[in-house]
Amino acid sequence: MAIIETFDLSRRFGKTTAVEDVTLAVEAGEVLGFLGPNGAGKTTTIRILAGMIAPTKGYAIVAGHRTDRDVEQLHETVGMLTQTPGLYDRLSARRNLEYFASFYPSIESQSQVEKYIKLMGLWERRDSKVGAFSKGMKQRLALARALVHEPKVLFLDEPTAGLDPEAAGEVRELIRTLREEGRTIFLSTHNLNEAEMLCSRIAVIHTRLLALDTAERLRRRFFRRRIIVQLESLDARVREAVRKLPFVQEMGEEGSQLILELSDSERNRPELVKAIVEAGGRVIGVSEKQYPLEDVYLRLIREESQNES
Amino acid sequence: MSRRRIRNILLKEWALLFTDLNSAFVITLLPFLVVGQGILYIWLASRFAGESMLTTQVFQTALQKLVEAIPGITQLPGNEQLLVLLLSQFNFFLLLIPTMIAMSVATFSIVDEKLSGSLEALLATPVRTWELLLGKALAGAIPALVMTWISAGIFLLVVSGLGWGELIGFVVTTGWFLTLFLLTPAVAMLSFMLGVTGSARAKDPRGAQNAALLIILPVFALIGIQITGIVWFTPSLILVLALAIGIADFITLRAAVRLFGRESIVVQWR
Ligand SMILES: Nc1ncnc2c1ncn2[C@@H]1O[C@H](COP(=O)(O)OP(=O)(O)OP(=O)(O)O)[C@@H](O)[C@H]1O
Ligand SMILES: [Mg+2]
Repeated sequence: MAIIETFDLSRRFGKTTAVEDVTLAVEAGEVLGFLGPNGAGKTTTIRILAGMIAPTKGYAIVAGHRTDRDVEQLHETVGMLTQTPGLYDRLSARRNLEYFASFYPSIESQSQVEKYIKLMGLWERRDSKVGAFSKGMKQRLALARALVHEPKVLFLDEPTAGLDPEAAGEVRELIRTLREEGRTIFLSTHNLNEAEMLCSRIAVIHTRLLALDTAERLRRRFFRRRIIVQLESLDARVREAVRKLPFVQEMGEEGSQLILELSDSERNRPELVKAIVEAGGRVIGVSEKQYPLEDVYLRLIREESQNES
Repeated sequence: MSRRRIRNILLKEWALLFTDLNSAFVITLLPFLVVGQGILYIWLASRFAGESMLTTQVFQTALQKLVEAIPGITQLPGNEQLLVLLLSQFNFFLLLIPTMIAMSVATFSIVDEKLSGSLEALLATPVRTWELLLGKALAGAIPALVMTWISAGIFLLVVSGLGWGELIGFVVTTGWFLTLFLLTPAVAMLSFMLGVTGSARAKDPRGAQNAALLIILPVFALIGIQITGIVWFTPSLILVLALAIGIADFITLRAAVRLFGRESIVVQWR
């Protein structure tokens, strides 16, 4: 069942259109990666979904609540990690968390605060002023704040932006834990690897929604599957034998590798290998060519910009 | 729940307020500056301009009204009558304290949170707009009020110290008490409410500051009206005024909740 649904969601700021006609659905328990270049409307979309701002057209339903109407109930069921940590530097970590927790009516705030300070590895520093914290620590505290009321749906706006690799890794590890707990996570990011590691599906937005699918299917959409056959050496006999095979659609080479597009890249493989071996070729390995998600992403964005101009 | 939330906002605001040197200074020192300055002017006036001021046209209407209000005052010599008139301005003059503190503190509490993004995080919780506004306004108005009362006490001490003790009876009237304990709280609340809402709506920190400046103008108007005797503020008039401002407090809160637009806070000053 979809726990986040949007219908023609649009938002304008004066003359700028930040988000236009975004219709999507996110299943409960899913981690959706929300990708897009700067100014693509990621933060705006998240703010609408978390009931912080209203759409100028269309609407969204999150956890059963219209985000522009049942704001109070919505806020009890969703958690939000804003793009800036937004903490009180002159208060301690614990005091910060206690303050935000105190606004949720249905939680035992003391034990929740302790639970999340511990989970985020900040227990030792709980009474230190947040102003002295590193960026990574602030981000973990902000994450604790987003979680303190045990939200079913979590919006994370670039959770690892500006963190060093180690701190970013820690945050990703926490997100994985949350995923395993079955929470629905809407994760905006610029980091494609991160999206692929953490997310079940990926949405690409550039004001409009350009694509929404699994990473694998997005790749297929742009890049046909290609098989790489690694040989000890490549000679004319092998080339000829392969070219004659009826299911080889396209053939290229790179050093001693053959790069092939087959009618059926799974079923044709044994035949292919047999033909090469019979032609005297010595096969080291057969694999599938991997396209980085980045290439998919860049193509999506480029196509969109071309359409516009 | 609301009460708990408002209390939490209050306590958090105070924790921030009193660890901020700037605000702590404004709250503790400003009242002394206001009182000190007021008394200094009155003292200078009585010392160097005494007799000539008596004939100044501006004060004639006010003096007449003073005599009407407190007939016993005719026993005093002319220059002391004038002194009573000037000292009686102090009740309204003290209103400058909550308004000036509001200008600085209310703006500060919003501007700071808007810039750091904590206000956005706060608005992602189920907090209601009115709880937030009221909490913030009270957090500033309460210390401002206490400081005003302390200032009033200091004023009386200084006045007797200057040897004008026998005049206090004419200055501290029913109207004085009504001003201090009804009008001042109402004005303090209004100033903070306007300060908080104004800076929340402002497009940038400078706009917030400018909006806050406007709060102080009505207080000057009040002082001007009283000292020139255009209107004489009898106890019942002060009562009415306090009541009206009390109602204005309530209306402002209602209007502010509508105007406040949580959205504009989240979206602006990015
Ligand atoms: N308050 C606002 N007033 C005017 N324009 C705005 C406002 N907020 C956002 N925009 C515009 O809307 C567009 C989308 O902004 P948004 O912040 O949602 O992008 P984003 O994808 O989060 O970008 P980033 O990766 O930089 O965080 C941008 O063109 C931005 O300038
Ligand atoms: Mg953003």
